[in-house]
Amino acid sequence: MTTTVTLAASMRGGTKDYGTGDAAVRALDGIDVDIAAAEFTAIMGPSGSGKSTLLHTLAGLDCLTAGDSWIGEQQISSLSEDKITQVRRDKIGFVFQAFNLIPSLSAKENITLPLDISGRDVDPAWFDEIIGILGLADRLTHLPAELSGGQQQRVAVARALVARPELIFADEPSGNLDSRSGAELLGFMRRAVKEFGQTIAMVTHDPSAASYSDRVLFLADGRIVDEMREPTADRVLDRMKQMGH
Amino acid sequence: MFRLAVKSVKHNPKRLVLTAVAVALGVALASATFTLTNALSGGFHQLFDEIYAGTDVIVEPAPTETEDDGDQFAAPDAVFTHADLAAVQAVDGVENAVGTIQVMGSVLPKDFEPTGDLMAAGGAPSQLFNWAGDPKLDQATLVEGSGPEADGQIVLDLDGAPRLGYEIGDMVSIATDTGVTELELVGLVRFGETNSLQGATLGYMTEADAATLAGSEDYQTISVVTADGVDKDQVASAISEVIPEGTRAITGEAKAAEQAEQLDDILQYVDIFAIAFALIALFVGSYIIVNTFRIIVTQRTREFGLLRAIGVSGRQLRTMILLEALVIAVVASTVGILLGYLGALGLSALVEALSGNIFGTVTLPWDALLWGYSLGALVTLVAALMPAIHASTISPMEALRESATESKKPLRMRNIVGGALTLLGVLAIVVGLYMDVAKPYVFVGAGAMVLVIGVTLLAAQVLVPLAYGLKAFLTRVFRVDGKLAANNIRREPRRSANTAAALMIGVMLLALVSTFTESLKSVVTDQFATSEADFFVLSTQGAIPPGAIDLLGSEDGVDFVTSTGVDQATYDGLGYSVASIDPATADLAYDYPNDPDFDGMDGGVFIDPVIQELGVEVGDQVALEGAEGSATLTVTGLYEREGDANFWVDEATGAELFGDYDILQAMVVLDDGVDPAAAEEQLTSALAEDFPLVVLSSPDQLAQFANQFIDLLLGVISAMLGAALIIAVLGVANTLLLSVTERTREIGLLRAVGVRRRSVRRMIRIESLVMAIFGTILGMILGVGLGVALVKALAEFGFTSVAIPWAWLGIYMVLAIIAGVVAAMSPARRAAKLDILQAIAFDG
Repeated sequence: MTTTVTLAASMRGGTKDYGTGDAAVRALDGIDVDIAAAEFTAIMGPSGSGKSTLLHTLAGLDCLTAGDSWIGEQQISSLSEDKITQVRRDKIGFVFQAFNLIPSLSAKENITLPLDISGRDVDPAWFDEIIGILGLADRLTHLPAELSGGQQQRVAVARALVARPELIFADEPSGNLDSRSGAELLGFMRRAVKEFGQTIAMVTHDPSAASYSDRVLFLADGRIVDEMREPTADRVLDRMKQMGH
Repeated sequence: MFRLAVKSVKHNPKRLVLTAVAVALGVALASATFTLTNALSGGFHQLFDEIYAGTDVIVEPAPTETEDDGDQFAAPDAVFTHADLAAVQAVDGVENAVGTIQVMGSVLPKDFEPTGDLMAAGGAPSQLFNWAGDPKLDQATLVEGSGPEADGQIVLDLDGAPRLGYEIGDMVSIATDTGVTELELVGLVRFGETNSLQGATLGYMTEADAATLAGSEDYQTISVVTADGVDKDQVASAISEVIPEGTRAITGEAKAAEQAEQLDDILQYVDIFAIAFALIALFVGSYIIVNTFRIIVTQRTREFGLLRAIGVSGRQLRTMILLEALVIAVVASTVGILLGYLGALGLSALVEALSGNIFGTVTLPWDALLWGYSLGALVTLVAALMPAIHASTISPMEALRESATESKKPLRMRNIVGGALTLLGVLAIVVGLYMDVAKPYVFVGAGAMVLVIGVTLLAAQVLVPLAYGLKAFLTRVFRVDGKLAANNIRREPRRSANTAAALMIGVMLLALVSTFTESLKSVVTDQFATSEADFFVLSTQGAIPPGAIDLLGSEDGVDFVTSTGVDQATYDGLGYSVASIDPATADLAYDYPNDPDFDGMDGGVFIDPVIQELGVEVGDQVALEGAEGSATLTVTGLYEREGDANFWVDEATGAELFGDYDILQAMVVLDDGVDPAAAEEQLTSALAEDFPLVVLSSPDQLAQFANQFIDLLLGVISAMLGAALIIAVLGVANTLLLSVTERTREIGLLRAVGVRRRSVRRMIRIESLVMAIFGTILGMILGVGLGVALVKALAEFGFTSVAIPWAWLGIYMVLAIIAGVVAAMSPARRAAKLDILQAIAFDG
C-alpha cells in the first residue's frame, strides 16, 4: 500500500441515527471509510449492519447525522440539496437491486438519461463500446417491460457507465437475478473496473458476488469490523460465519 | 363487506378527498339554489299574505286566457264604476267595501335629472294607490305624520322616502303618462308588519288625486271587509252576482295563494335551470370519479387478488367498491349541501346589504336534501360502476404478480364505441337543429351528451399520436423533462383523455354560449345599424305616453316620429301579438323584414312565419278580436322574422281593436342636416318637463345597451359553469396526484440519478399543461361547432350571421394555461418532495 492512492469517496466519523429519543436507532456509529479510485469495493455485513445506510449516505441520497463525507475532493455533507443532486448527476452512477429503469423510456433512452438530464452529449464510440460489451445492441429500442431481468440490470449498468461517473454505487445489483445472469452482470462490472478504470462500490450479502471485488469491507453494528483484499467466495463466507451471519 | 368498505375509505382518505370535493361542489350548486329559491318564495309568500291580510274578499277583473305575465307591478285597466262599488257595499255580510285606484306612475328621486340614461331613470317600480283610511284595507299603517287627508298630499313608505331623498314637508314628484305632478309628503307608512316591499316604493294619496292622475274615476279593484262571523266564501259568491261580466270576487286568502302559486311556478324554472348546471358540474365530476376509482383499483390489484384468493367472490368485490363509492357520496353530498346552504346564507346577506331584504327566512329546504343526496349518490355510483366491474374480474393470480400497472388493453374497442357515439351524437344534434321534430332541444341535449362521451373515448386515440408529436417539441424546449412528460401522457391515454375531457366539457359549454352570444351581438348591432332612425324613444316604466310622441313630433328639426304599439288579440281562438304601426313612415325609419313594404298594407294585415305556417296566405281574410273591438282584414303582405309580432296592422286598425294601445317603441327621424347631438339635447329637455321617464337613445347607444345585457347573460352562465370548471381543474390535479403516487419509485429513481426537484416539478407541470390545453382546444372545437350549428338553426329568428368569439377563445386559452399551472401545483410539490430513499424502497 502506498499513500498515493486517489480516493473516489470517503467518510470520517460518519454517524447516522434514525428516529429520536427512545425509538432512536444508530445505523452508522462514527464510521471511517475510504473508497479507492479504480477499485471494485464490496461492502458486506449481516442485515441491519448499516451497509445500505453507508451506501446511501456516501452517495448523498441520505444525509449524515454527524461526520463528513466526500465524493472525490468535494465535501458533500455540507452541501445543499440542489448541489448534492448536481454532484450525483455529474459524478455518480447508480445500479439498484430492482426497478432501475423508467418504464416509459426505451432501453437506449434509459441509458442516456443521466446525460440528457445534465445536457451533455453522448460519446457515440463510448456508448457503442459499452453496448457491445453488455450485449444490448439489439435491445435498445425495447421498453423495460420487454426486457428480461438480467437485461434490465445490464441496461442499468450501461446507464451508470455511459456518463463516465467518478464512482458507481451498486445496491445488490445481482440480488434479483438467477445465478448465471448474476455472474454475467458482476463479470461486466469487474471488466469495467479493470479495463476502463471505473470505480465501483457495491453493497451485497452474497459472498460469491463479493468475490468479484478487489476489496471487501465487513460491517457490523454500524462499524467497519474488518477488510479483506483479493477475496474469494470461500474466504468471505468463512469471515461472515465468524461474524455470526 | 360494508365494514371493509368503510375501513378502506378511512385507511386512505387522501386519495378520495378531491373526488369528494368534486361531488360536493356539484351538490352545493343545487343546494344553494334550492335554498335561495325557497327563501325567495318564502319572502314573496309573506308579501302576498300581508297584501291580502286585511282584505276578506277582493273584487277584480277575471284573469284572461292569454295572460300577459309581463309587468307584475302594472296597474290593471279600471273596470268598476262607483255604481258597482255601491252594489258591492249593499251585499249582505259586507261590512265595508272600498274601491282602489292604482296610479300608473313613478315616484321620482328628489333631485332627479333626466339624463337620457336608461339605467338611471329605471330602478324599482312605484305602487301608488288611493288612501282608504282603514288600516285593514290599506295594508299599511301610518307610523309618522298624518295620512293624505287633503288633496295635494301624499304618504310614502318609511324605506322608500329616505331612499328617494324625501322628508316630511318636501314636495314629491310623481311622473305619469300625462306629466309630472307634485304632492306634499305628509306622513310615512309601514307596509304590513315589516315593510318588506321587495324594493318597490309604496305611496298613498286622496281618491280625488288618484283619479286625476289615473285619468279615470273608476276602480281597478274593490276590497271588501266582511262582518264578523260571516262565511267569506259565501260573501264572495254573493258579490259575484252583482258585479260586471269579466270580473270576479275572490277571498283574500285564495288570492294570496293564487299569486304565490304563480310565483312558485316561475321559481321552479330557476330550480330546473340550476339543476341543469349542477348536473353539468356533476357530469364533469363523474370523469374524476371514474379516473380515481380506476387508479385505485389498479393500485389495489394485489389486495383484491388476495381477497379473491381467500375466497371473496367477484360480486362481493364489486359490491365493496360500490359501497366505498356510496360512503364517499354520502359524505361528499352532506358537505356539499352544507356548503350550498352556507353559500346561500352568504349570498342572501350580500343581496340584503346591497338592495334590501327580498328573501324570507333562509332555511334548508327538504328538496335541497333530497336532490343533493340523490344527485351525489347517483353520479358517484354510476361513475364507480365500470371500475368496480373491472375489479370484480381480477383473478386471484394477480395477487402474486409483481407489476402494479394497468394492463395494456388495446384502444380498439374504445375507439369503435367512441366513434359510434360521436356519430350518433352529431346525428341527434343535426336532427334536433334542422329537422322539424317535436321537442328539438331533447335531441340537441341528448346528442351533445352522447357526442361528449364519444369524443372523450376517441380523445385517448388522439392523445397517443399527439404525445408522440409533442415529444419532439417538448424535448427540444424542455429537454428531458418534456420528454418524460410526453411519455407519461402517452402511457395512460385513457386516464389522460378522461382528465382532459372533464375540462373539455366546461370549455365546450363556455365556447358554445359565447359563440351564441357573440352572434347575437352581431345580429343586434346589424339591426340597429340598418336603422334610419336618429333616435329610439323608450320609456323606463310602462308604455310611452302618446303625449310624448306628439310632443316630439312637434319639435323643430324633427322630420317625423313613427311608433310601434303591441297588444294581444284573439285569432282562431288563440291569443297572438299584434303590432300597430304607421305604414307610411315605418319603413323609412327601420329596415323591416317585410314583403312588400308596409306602405302596401292598404288597411290590411301582414303576417309573420308563425301565422304563415297555419296556412294563411296573402289574399286571405283573417278575423282578429281585440279588447275593444274586432276586425276582419285582408292579408296584404308578409313579415319574415319570427319573434317580433304575429300580426302587423296600421294605427287605425290598432285603435279599432284595442282603443288606446300601449306604445312600446317609437323612432325619431330628424330633418336632413340637423345635428343629432344638438337635437338630442333639445328633445331631451323638451321631454324633461312632462315626461321625465321617456328617454332618447341613439341606435348606437341602444346597440351598446343590448350588447351589455347580452354580456351580462354570458357572465351569468359563465359563473354558473364556474363550478364545472373548478371541478375539471380539480380533476387534472387529482389525476396527477394519483399518478405521482403511482410513480413514486420512478420519480425516486429520477431524483437518485440526478434530476433536480425543480425539474421534477416542471415535468409534472408540463403534463398538466398538455392535458389542460388539449382539453381546452377540444372543448373549443366542439363548443364553437355546436354554437355555429345552433345559430344556423335559428336563422329564421333573425340570426343572419355567425360570429366566432375569438377574444373569448383567447381568454379561455389563457385561463386554461393558468388552470394547468394551478392544477399542477400540489402534485408537483408532492413529487418534488418525495424522499428519495423511501421512493426507492416504496412498495409498489
